Amino acid sequence: MRRIALTAVSAVLMLSAAACGSGSGTGSGKAATGGTLTLAPLVAAQPWDLADAGLGNNAQYYQPVYDSLLRLSPTADVKPNLATKWSYNAARTVLTMTLRSGVKFTDGTALDAAAVKTNLLHTEKGTSEAAGQLKGITGVDVVNATTVAIKLSAPDPSLVPNLGNVAGMMASPKAIDAGTIKTTPVGSGPYTLDKSATTDGSTYTFVRNQGYWNKAAFPFDKIVLKPLTDPTAVLNALRSGQVNGALLASAKNIAPAKSSGLTVTKYTSGDVEGVYIWDREGKIVKALGDVRVRQALNYAFDRSTIVKTAKQGLGKATTQIFNPAGSAFDESLNSTYSYDPAKAKQLLAEAGYPHGFSVTVPDVSSVFPDQQAAMVQQLEDIGIKVKVDKIPVTQFISALLAGKYPLSYMTLASFRPWDTIQIEVAKSALWNPLHSSDPKVTDLVTKAQSATGAAQDALFKQLNTYLVDQAWNAPWDSVEATYATTKGVTFTPQAFAAVPPIYNFKPAG
Amino acid sequence: MIVFLVRRIAAGLVLVLVIATTTFALMSLTGSDPVRQIVGQTATQQQVTAKSAELGLDQSFVVRYGHWLADVLHGNLGSSWFSGESVTSSLENRLPVTLSIVLAALLVSAVLSTVLGVAAAVRRGALDQVVQLLAVLGFAVPSFLVALVFAVVIGVDLGWLPATGYVPLADSASGWLKSITLPALSLSVGAIAATAQQVRGSMVDVLRADYVRTLRSRGISERSLLFRHALRNAAPAALTVLALQFIGLVGGAVVVEKVFGLNGIGSQATTAGSQGDTPVVMGVVVVMVALVVVVNILMDLAYGWLNPKVRVG
Repeated sequence: MRRIALTAVSAVLMLSAAACGSGSGTGSGKAATGGTLTLAPLVAAQPWDLADAGLGNNAQYYQPVYDSLLRLSPTADVKPNLATKWSYNAARTVLTMTLRSGVKFTDGTALDAAAVKTNLLHTEKGTSEAAGQLKGITGVDVVNATTVAIKLSAPDPSLVPNLGNVAGMMASPKAIDAGTIKTTPVGSGPYTLDKSATTDGSTYTFVRNQGYWNKAAFPFDKIVLKPLTDPTAVLNALRSGQVNGALLASAKNIAPAKSSGLTVTKYTSGDVEGVYIWDREGKIVKALGDVRVRQALNYAFDRSTIVKTAKQGLGKATTQIFNPAGSAFDESLNSTYSYDPAKAKQLLAEAGYPHGFSVTVPDVSSVFPDQQAAMVQQLEDIGIKVKVDKIPVTQFISALLAGKYPLSYMTLASFRPWDTIQIEVAKSALWNPLHSSDPKVTDLVTKAQSATGAAQDALFKQLNTYLVDQAWNAPWDSVEATYATTKGVTFTPQAFAAVPPIYNFKPAG
Repeated sequence: MIVFLVRRIAAGLVLVLVIATTTFALMSLTGSDPVRQIVGQTATQQQVTAKSAELGLDQSFVVRYGHWLADVLHGNLGSSWFSGESVTSSLENRLPVTLSIVLAALLVSAVLSTVLGVAAAVRRGALDQVVQLLAVLGFAVPSFLVALVFAVVIGVDLGWLPATGYVPLADSASGWLKSITLPALSLSVGAIAATAQQVRGSMVDVLRADYVRTLRSRGISERSLLFRHALRNAAPAALTVLALQFIGLVGGAVVVEKVFGLNGIGSQATTAGSQGDTPVVMGVVVVMVALVVVVNILMDLAYGWLNPKVRVG
């Protein structure tokens, strides 16, 4: 008996110790009422300092507290927000913006031109993805209290739309200067973080900012974000009504979500996956320098079957690296390379490789087992010997960026045409690790950078057509995401976004 | 007794230091690239270099470890490289979650395994066979499967208990109990099975011992024989299993926390480990090793209490 008593007593003591340690509170996980929108982001929150802010899934954390200079419509058209007007100079190197007057941060600081300058220069100095979108900025001039002039080293066709996302979000300059912004967000957004109902890492509660200028655009009184990384936990939380919306990261959860009465919405996430050919000049594998070999690779893949089996239907077959929502995309290009292993073998033979050749690819089987299997099998079907190099998954990206591999399976985010060019096409682009270049590509990129409107769109299309024709890569599909919502909530998907922004959610009915 | 305790605590501290050093070395030597993950796929090389410098990753292993150790001795466990959250406050948020489910599971398994083990050993026959069969089944079924079934059937379909999330005891006692019931039960199944077998085995051995026969022949009541003598002698073995179960349960909590969307130390450790978030991993390791050391010392004290011979030794 004493043994049992001992165990019980020590357990009770430790339990009370555990209870004492729980100072701050999490939400009780109750189903949302009409006034609360509870979402489960797939990623953990980042620091509140926008200089450390990422894009994609991370944006939902910033949207409640920080308002942005511009706002993007669901089709990514740029609309006024904190900035009411904007215009470029003739050389497109100075962007002048007129700010909405009378807007204040929740600490009482005015949102004026000086605040915008502080924010843009602060975020630009950062080390994360939002900072990367502002790297072309060389300075910001305060023209007067409501006018700023943003100076660029060269035209940046993506800057204006990027100011409608995290890169254009504004935090209180006072909090930035004090350094408190890393742990406590102070913005001018529609909500403020309620620290008493927030537990870092598990629940973030945002309540209405009563002084917000555009309350009507945000129908919910409260926003709660509960990061959940496990797909099963996400599904269970949705089915039991503990959250109103979440990304279904696993395709196998779609059917159970539908049968539970959840609304499942499918949309293009912006990622393009498939085989990226890094060695277009044949620096590592000579064969890849021949366009016929790269085209052979494109004929080797049965894209629609890969989407159906390896992707469980979550993708749209494509031969292009550009996002379907962008102006560079051309549906007709998707029929350029049909699945034709015989043609692939013929092209290899014409290029002088009748028996194929060998390539070494990094192992991604721990993360993308089906995709890796599909790639290896279909390359081997046309006679290309694939050696899989076992490297830790944490070294995968560094190894690719270091230019270690001639080609690999990869999924890259594809935003607006200019972003895609900057990220993976330009000679100096990060995701052009072996710095491939082609005079025609360089020429089209240079022309597109300074062009505007329809002329620019036409140049983007020409570039895309050329890249597909030259088989710079062998993409498989534009990745599709599925987002599930409970009955009381609806949303509109957002072009170029991995998850819908909070202002696209509305109460149903 | 005090000398024994001091010696055990000193040994525990050395163990914490050795494991911390080894973990730090392993985190540094695996060659993972947390910086690229922090700054994102599209960050430039300059951004990567700047972030590396900010985190001190451009310094040698010895310098970094020296800084970390000096900070820890000043009570500063650093901040997560990914979320910027202080490791101390994140442990304060997450440790109660894990301890709640692990200790509740331990309590449930201690009580149920003793009842089942003693009953099987005393009654034998059909009951014994049923208990043994259940023990084998309980041991064979992985806790994540039990967790999944509980979450879906009891949490989602029946809606009796929450399928995900944790409510701190300070916020609501009933909410807390509801939020930990399913995770703790899923976690305890394997522990009950293992410990019940151990209790049963030890009791069977003890009940066969000569002194039990002698006590019986003296006409001592069966209840007194069972609880005052037999169970006390069978207890140390069961306690060892329970102490080991504690460590095992902390490991099992990783999976159960994921299934129930609980933000405990287990799910934090796996996420931080896969990301290469060194400050968080180190914080978790130090705290967990310290906890295991404390549990072992408590178990040693319990042995001593149950068996004076150990104290002399």
